[in-house]
Amino acid sequence: MSQNIKILPGATVCEDCTLEGDITIGGGTVIHPRVTIIAEGGPIIIAEYCIIEEYATIIHKKAEKAETQETPPKPLFIGAHNVFEVACKLESSFGHIGESNVFECRSFVGVDVKIGSGCVIGAACQLTVPQTLADNTVIWGSEHHNREALEKQPTQLLQLDFLSKVMPNYHRLRKPNMHKRLPSRPSQDTAK
Amino acid sequence: MAYLTQPDYVKYICSCGQLKPITNLYFCRHCLKIRCGFCICHEVDSHYCANCLENMPSSEARLKKNRCSSCFACPSCFHTLSTRATLARDPAGGDGKPPKKMYYLSCFNCRWTSRDVGIPDQPVASGGWPERTNPFTSRFNQLLEYYKAIAQQEKQEKLDKERKKFVTRGKYINLTDKTGLTGAMARNIAGLPSSESSSTVISNFVPSQASADVEELPEDYHLKEIDLKQITRMSQRTSCPELQPSLASRLSPRPRALCVKRSQRCRACDHNLTKPEYNPGSVKFKIELLAFYHVPEVKIISYETIKPGGTSALLLKLSNPTAHEMTIRMLQPEDVPDTEEEHKTIEKTLEKSLSLEKDVSWNACFPRRPPPSRAGSVGLPAVSLTLAQRDDAAEYDDEPPGDNDDIILWRKSNKLALRLKLTTDPEARVGTDAYFSFAIQYSYRNTVPPSATVVQHSDHTLYTTVILDLGKVCE
Repeated sequence: MSQNIKILPGATVCEDCTLEGDITIGGGTVIHPRVTIIAEGGPIIIAEYCIIEEYATIIHKKAEKAETQETPPKPLFIGAHNVFEVACKLESSFGHIGESNVFECRSFVGVDVKIGSGCVIGAACQLTVPQTLADNTVIWGSEHHNREALEKQPTQLLQLDFLSKVMPNYHRLRKPNMHKRLPSRPSQDTAK
Repeated sequence: MAYLTQPDYVKYICSCGQLKPITNLYFCRHCLKIRCGFCICHEVDSHYCANCLENMPSSEARLKKNRCSSCFACPSCFHTLSTRATLARDPAGGDGKPPKKMYYLSCFNCRWTSRDVGIPDQPVASGGWPERTNPFTSRFNQLLEYYKAIAQQEKQEKLDKERKKFVTRGKYINLTDKTGLTGAMARNIAGLPSSESSSTVISNFVPSQASADVEELPEDYHLKEIDLKQITRMSQRTSCPELQPSLASRLSPRPRALCVKRSQRCRACDHNLTKPEYNPGSVKFKIELLAFYHVPEVKIISYETIKPGGTSALLLKLSNPTAHEMTIRMLQPEDVPDTEEEHKTIEKTLEKSLSLEKDVSWNACFPRRPPPSRAGSVGLPAVSLTLAQRDDAAEYDDEPPGDNDDIILWRKSNKLALRLKLTTDPEARVGTDAYFSFAIQYSYRNTVPPSATVVQHSDHTLYTTVILDLGKVCE
């Protein structure tokens, strides 16, 4: 598999993680150690200000039949402000995942699940059946109860600031290798 | 840990006949019998809130309808709500003012927030949350008053009946003669409600009337598509019985229900089996007579597959949890002597002959015979095994080589592994549950002196029956 990892300035990516294939990591995003991101079915683009915690796995799966594989392969775009908590697994290859979603610990999102924005997949919830999650859907509990939240989940900007400050003290980081100018951080004034 | 996460493979037969794992059983040191939650008395010791650990007496708990005044439960998933702070800017646009801290309630489990249902943020962290008023409050209070009055009246009638039994003799001066007080005045002074007021409550009460006029359903009731996210679940409605919101937008935070600390008491001898410490933050017990600390524990190490008509090996581990040496013999469950039953009947006749006028119907427990269906028999060694006492420091000692033979696999401080032979019935049907049972005869040293005068420890020989669940009978 061709290694083509693009890390934009401002991103904090730990060295001790498995990144395979064509991956773009946006500025402000924090990737903890032991994360696995595999782009075998097409490129993965992770937007700004995402948190990807330990043992999280994001896989862009190859289509099972060769005929259905699009050429060129469709990228998997993960929107801004998504939080992937410890040991969650995302296999969705629907091309687009909205923003401000929370994938809680040990949650699993299968291949044919389309996710909007502001959704929460609760701890240990497994989504395997093809489905579309509307915006602001919250799924929780062993019985997979769901409800609709009124507003999007609050952003984790304070946590991101903290992580990007602390992470370099304790871990070896991958250096940003892209020198594209990003739009200035819009969140800094709202955080205060 | 295995007792928490795994199914119960080893079950003991309680003296009432229930099958329970050893962790769910109690051991009464005075009756020397195994007891379970079904055959003991449960008493409420204290009420407390499990979230803020506030302790309150039962009268206060009743007044607060058994709910905490400061903690809230999520109406959506019943988890405890937490208070979160945000910085709110004045919408009026006061630039000079610093942003004010505003608080709202949020659930960490299902992410429900008090904002979801339009409850405004509060300027203080605790209290001041708006409560939805019950539309039937007045009717509810009316009913409550009515039934209180009825209870009062019945109590009074009972008292009067009792008083009639003892007819006042003319010799003695009664209260009215002496002081000029009447019964009603005495009641008034004592702060009891007068009998007249309760009778007016009863006479003024209007029973509810059933009416045939029911509000019509909207036209589109059957045609409208249902959005399940807008509608509450059954459990959400029943958690709030006075409002029973049918729409998710009408949910409101519920004050958290209180928890109780219970103490358990043996029904036969009225001794405490467990008694928790009063402090709600403590999980320790003042009295803790659990079977786990008194009865030899049986665990399955491994076994061969159970085949009809075949024999298979079974490895068991026995351990002695007591601080005294224990002698163990294994018996067939049929061979357990029934001496205790006789003892009981003697005691009962004694009690009858003394004609103790004590209502003991409440403490009768109904013995139940355990299911006799067994897939086969366990070949038991006809030897007594000695188990050393529990010694927490033993695991740091160098172990002397244990005595290994055909039966004993290994020995380690207070534990011992046994190799037994299972013989399965040829008639055992494939696919049925493979239950095996055996009884243990064990020596037990009771450290509780039976009375203050006798200080000597007494040794007893006790029996318990164990049922092993060894999966299914295979082909």
